[in-house]
Amino acid sequence: MCGIAGIMYKGERDGLHAAQALIDMLDGCQHRGPDSTGFALYGQATKGELKLRFFVGQGDEAVAAVARIQETLAQHHATIIEDEHIGDNYRVVVEFGGDVQEFAYAMEHAAKVISIGESLDIVKDVGGAHEVDERYAVHKFTGTHGLGHVRLATESDVKPEAAHPFWATGFADIAIVHNGQITNYWKMRRRLEQRDFEFRTDNDSELIAVYLADKLSQGIALKEALRTSIDDLDGTFSFLVSTKDEIGYAKDRLAVKPMIMYENDDLIAVASEEVSLNRLFPGQALNTKEPPPGSYNTWSRST
Amino acid sequence: MVTIDLAKIPVREANELIRQHGAEGQDVEVINPDARHHIGVGLTSAINVKIRGSAGYFCAGLTDEAHFEVDNNVGWGLGDNMYSGSVVVGGNAGAIAGVAIRGADLVIRGNMGSRAGQVMKAGTLCCAGNANFMAGYMMYGGRIIILGDSGERVGEDMAGGEIYVGGDVQSLGSDAQVVDVDGPELDEIRAFLDRYQLKFKGTFKKVANAGKKLRYATSERQVRSIPFFTFSGETDYWNAKVQEDLYIKAQIGRYRIRGYGGARELPHLSDLAFKKDLSQSGHEPDPVSKVNMYTEIGGINGATPLKLSMPVMIAPMSYGALSRATKQAVGMASSLSGIAENTGEGGMSDAQRDAAEQLIFQCLGGRLGWNIHDMKRANGLEIYISQGAKPGFGGQLMAKKVTKELAEIRGIPAGIDLRSPSRHPDILGADDLVIKVEEFREATGYKLPVSVKLGAGRVRDDMKIAVKDGFDFVELDGMQGSTGAGGAEVMEYVGIPTVAAIMEALDALEEIGVRDKIQIVLMGGIRDGIDAAKALCLGPDAIAFGTSTIIAGGCIACMQCHVGQCVTGIATQDPEHEKRYQPAIEAQNIHRFLESVRWQIATVTHALGYTDVKQLNRDDLVALTPEVAAITRLPYEPGYRDRHLELKAKVG
Repeated sequence: MCGIAGIMYKGERDGLHAAQALIDMLDGCQHRGPDSTGFALYGQATKGELKLRFFVGQGDEAVAAVARIQETLAQHHATIIEDEHIGDNYRVVVEFGGDVQEFAYAMEHAAKVISIGESLDIVKDVGGAHEVDERYAVHKFTGTHGLGHVRLATESDVKPEAAHPFWATGFADIAIVHNGQITNYWKMRRRLEQRDFEFRTDNDSELIAVYLADKLSQGIALKEALRTSIDDLDGTFSFLVSTKDEIGYAKDRLAVKPMIMYENDDLIAVASEEVSLNRLFPGQALNTKEPPPGSYNTWSRST
Repeated sequence: MVTIDLAKIPVREANELIRQHGAEGQDVEVINPDARHHIGVGLTSAINVKIRGSAGYFCAGLTDEAHFEVDNNVGWGLGDNMYSGSVVVGGNAGAIAGVAIRGADLVIRGNMGSRAGQVMKAGTLCCAGNANFMAGYMMYGGRIIILGDSGERVGEDMAGGEIYVGGDVQSLGSDAQVVDVDGPELDEIRAFLDRYQLKFKGTFKKVANAGKKLRYATSERQVRSIPFFTFSGETDYWNAKVQEDLYIKAQIGRYRIRGYGGARELPHLSDLAFKKDLSQSGHEPDPVSKVNMYTEIGGINGATPLKLSMPVMIAPMSYGALSRATKQAVGMASSLSGIAENTGEGGMSDAQRDAAEQLIFQCLGGRLGWNIHDMKRANGLEIYISQGAKPGFGGQLMAKKVTKELAEIRGIPAGIDLRSPSRHPDILGADDLVIKVEEFREATGYKLPVSVKLGAGRVRDDMKIAVKDGFDFVELDGMQGSTGAGGAEVMEYVGIPTVAAIMEALDALEEIGVRDKIQIVLMGGIRDGIDAAKALCLGPDAIAFGTSTIIAGGCIACMQCHVGQCVTGIATQDPEHEKRYQPAIEAQNIHRFLESVRWQIATVTHALGYTDVKQLNRDDLVALTPEVAAITRLPYEPGYRDRHLELKAKVG
């Protein structure tokens, strides 16, 4: 129950605006989800480096969590390059050359991971777009593309870890924002758990992320993975997925959840409502498109 | 022409200005709309409104007589429930364009989204481009003209009306068929297209209802009704009720439909007792004067509240299931007792409006009888999501009751077995619901309380959503609630009991710390003032009576409400039967029942040592059964049952 947004700038130079654009777009549809707001942002990747972000809270709880994180990092030969404690988060950049999935699961057992990636950094917390921006300086992020989400908590609590975007637990650089409900959630989850995938929440958005990441790790193209998701996932959904260099969407066959998109020479923007798109172009009438039911598509960075 | 700049003022203020200019007959131009929602909502004057850009959800919704022009796109729910007037959209329209329109011309020069014209009753929805998935879904009347392609499943479950397709009919929906188009129809379409300067040279295919699902194939055989006592008894395994059920199912080959309440023994208020010994109470000759019972409902967010002389309301019951005379009597009784009445589904009659001093107007998924004019003369607006007797299901009104007059008010074809939609076209999640609630507030100037009716299912989640979506109060209906017609098994086995529902509701609000942000009206099988007092102890702000008032007003509990031949004139639309019902007399009977409720609540409150009904609390109660103790977390005190029986024996 929420609003979603995604943006990809085609040129390198405009990339600086992705985070600010998402803040504006989410502020435009905050009525769809006042409880929490989140961003999946893709910055510059450096070979051999991973960015990790955790929920650690404040005070003693945070000190203990950070100690556990640092211990686990050392155990996995991940060398800390830089780190900071910001808001309720602990953000760390490490030098790492091993198997990401095994490393990620180990980190998950040490603390609450928000995201892991060479390029991906997820920021999410309770409150509106501007509040989260204020707490985590989201507008300062540089990057060419990203996703955003505003959430109205229905089935799970208003906790920062239940906020979106969801990282595909165990897979670097894959994020998802989703509006809807996957009704064959447990069936699909058990199928993936049979194959030793781990889940951190009971949230159906995490399932979509892991489902897609699994396909990608098998060498299947994102577009093809989105196509099969429409057959495999049951329920009502409009979701956006992002990787290091692509964003994509899929929409259920019943067209229950809204989605609207706009594309020009500079950018592709997708949102739940046109009012979000219009935030990027105040006073202009946009030539938007509503994707049909059961459709999917991807865009990749031209560079 | 006055210009309103949405870059400078919010939509709420703009709509007030538009309505003011409307009253003065002044045309309006809206600049910088930037796809904002609710532009023009609630306008009922014949002015022109030009929107220079794109509009968001519910543009021109809940309007009558006005003419709108939008230069670019519109979001979901274009022209929601419009009565007359027009909208011309220069670009594309989102999903459910023309939802529930009762007239008006809607023209979209681009494409339109899914489920266009859902539950529309009259008027014309014209799309110059392509339509999408399920155009004409559940439409009851009017016409849709699509110059491009139809989209998949066009005409899905349409009950009436016509869909003309100029391009390809991509696939037909359930119970839809392609039929011949005749000359005069085409002339009318050409005239319409000319009026809006739409050029089209091709031919049309016409999609209409195929008539396979409008009526049940075999009707249920009329049988002598089994008395409720026998019906609800479970002593004899293959009892008369079970046998009857099997005989009838052997004939009709489907689930059965019946009226009235559930018959299964369920944990209920009768499994609770007052902790304090009240056997000595009743000596106070005038308890009503000793206890403050005045209650306001619906005002916590600034709307004008319902002012109740006691924490009691009339539960929503539809005009359709009940006769007009019955709704009138209940309305009169509500006024005599100083409480509020509720229209239920099927619209507001003048007789009912005149009879009830305080009247809540209920909006259901079929939007049957829903309209801006009655919204404006209501004292509260209510979105029905579900009801306790059949949570998750829509209303059922058998053909016998869908008379010409009733069909006209509802805007549907007469003589169909009406199965009301089980969900709203424009409420597909809590996020859409926020926008819908806002639309109602915009349309009525934020003056009326907006409530939600919830059948007890997933109460915990639903309550949280109700608070977050900004409702003023919830009408929470437990499984013991009755209905005019429902699937028999659904009535007995779907939902959760009233006592469980209120516990889940309060727990949910406590979990997120918002008990003071919403009020609760509890209902579902509350029979008298003692039940009411116990219910109030559990924590709702008020309770509501449905079936009790109907019985007080002459119902003989034959459980044949759905048939339409009610001998008392209550659950019927047949004038011959209805004339047996004397509203003025029955109103007095219902009023006297309500006064007995007042007396009983006051007596119990006074005997418990309080001076205000708001002091009633859960510490005043004990549970008589382990089940209810587990549900309510009240102490299990079976000993009180003996005391209760002893008292009964003495008095009996």
